[in-house]
Amino acid sequence: MPAKKAFLIYERPNLNEALGKIEEAFIEQRTVLIVGRCWVEYRGRASSKLKPGERIVIVKEDGSLLVHRCKGYEPVNWQPPGCFFKTYMNDDSLIVKAIRRSPRETVMIYFDQIYLLSTFKLIDEGEFSIYASEEDMQKAILLNPSIIEDDFTPIDYEKKVEPGFIDVYGVDKEGRMVVIEIKRRTASKDAVLQLARYIKSIKTSAGREVRGILVAPKISREAWDLLTLLGLSFKRIDPKKCSEMLRKMKDKKISDFLQTEEV
Amino acid sequence: MFRMKISDSKTFKSVLTAISAIVDEATFNIGPDGIKLRAMDPSRVAMVDFEMRRTSFDEYEVEDESKVCINLSELLKLLKRAGKDDVVEVSLDKESGRFMVTMRGRYTRTFNMPTLEVSEEEVPEPRITFNVRVTLTTSDLQDVLKDAALVSDNVRIEANEEDMVMVAKGDIAGAKIEIKKGSDALISIEAKEPSKATFSLSYLSEIVNAASDTSDIVTLEFSTDMPIRLDFRQRYDGKLSYLLAPRIEVE
Repeated sequence: MPAKKAFLIYERPNLNEALGKIEEAFIEQRTVLIVGRCWVEYRGRASSKLKPGERIVIVKEDGSLLVHRCKGYEPVNWQPPGCFFKTYMNDDSLIVKAIRRSPRETVMIYFDQIYLLSTFKLIDEGEFSIYASEEDMQKAILLNPSIIEDDFTPIDYEKKVEPGFIDVYGVDKEGRMVVIEIKRRTASKDAVLQLARYIKSIKTSAGREVRGILVAPKISREAWDLLTLLGLSFKRIDPKKCSEMLRKMKDKKISDFLQTEEV
Repeated sequence: MFRMKISDSKTFKSVLTAISAIVDEATFNIGPDGIKLRAMDPSRVAMVDFEMRRTSFDEYEVEDESKVCINLSELLKLLKRAGKDDVVEVSLDKESGRFMVTMRGRYTRTFNMPTLEVSEEEVPEPRITFNVRVTLTTSDLQDVLKDAALVSDNVRIEANEEDMVMVAKGDIAGAKIEIKKGSDALISIEAKEPSKATFSLSYLSEIVNAASDTSDIVTLEFSTDMPIRLDFRQRYDGKLSYLLAPRIEVE
């Protein structure tokens, strides 16, 4: 752990006291959280003014800025990473100024009261992964049909039928048609009914036996009862596993090669 | 201070368009020998390396080395107004510090636009040993990329002394494009060792499409899992080349 205490919290600091702490935090590239009464002026590609009010201001260690009001998830003013910050006193108010070089933009935040000031360094190396979509599950099935069952052969996907689109359809090892409906969450009764409608719509034209398989990570109790009643089956497939099956590519950066001096 | 005049406004426009595929705010190094620019795109996956030597211009007056940063899409908007017989002159106005663009044809118009804060970042020239060198026409390369883009968003390029093969693997469909030595599409191929690397098709297509107006001939140079260099032969005295970082598979 760094020698400096990870979290510094000041309740109702006077503005001069806050000034010193904020300056220090900017130098050390700490994240700064300020809750207080402020007004904001933005100048750049456009300009805006925000009249005084109580707000939450965050300056992150990468130099991004967020000014939040007490409602809504989006900040009312913001700047992307890479801004540099100045803070100073002027006419009894504490000013935090964010400057972006290119395009040139400035955000000036004037505080006349600070209720809470906190500065800290966070360690966050966790990876963010988005849960697989139904489309990922569909692709995974097309790529590895055996996750449905051995010798399952897909024929088409997103096949248009009267009631809608069949996610995947194909044939099993005995030559029976298979209709697959994919859900990325717990499959409900509606999902079962949807599958049943698809089967009904192609049964006449198929001229052979049609099986229905509902694919989902889970199935509800009543959906299960209905499924059994209708003679359909369920295949448990984890969306996350599906997304792992898909090839993922990432671009390297030119800067990765700037240092490599090969002979 | 500088002032330069070019009667081939079409080339000037097309080369600036080609650069704008990588950067929108372009910092040019303007020196007594000519204009240079080397810049990376904001995500740092691609780089453009451009040079237009003084002999490419009809008139070229530069006192000393300077840097000027211009918003390319704004400049291109102005240059679009230049007809093919118009002579274009660009200069920096000493007093206002503004960038001046004059087009002389049946009548004369002078536009002025702001210069931007120059980026001080010096992009060094990466030293990469390329094991493969393939030359083909720009239009064939455009076609090949269009083929590959039908099925995937990335393409693996493989080459040896005999041929170049592009493999695009989508989640559902795939494509294989073969260009053999001796075929009409291949101007030349040299390989010190067989090499292969994968690249983003959106980057590749954007670069090739943007540069296609400047050049009929492109040379690709690459090595296994290293960046690819695309060098577009220019009609003026200078160069236009790009470097694109490879794609790698991640878990």
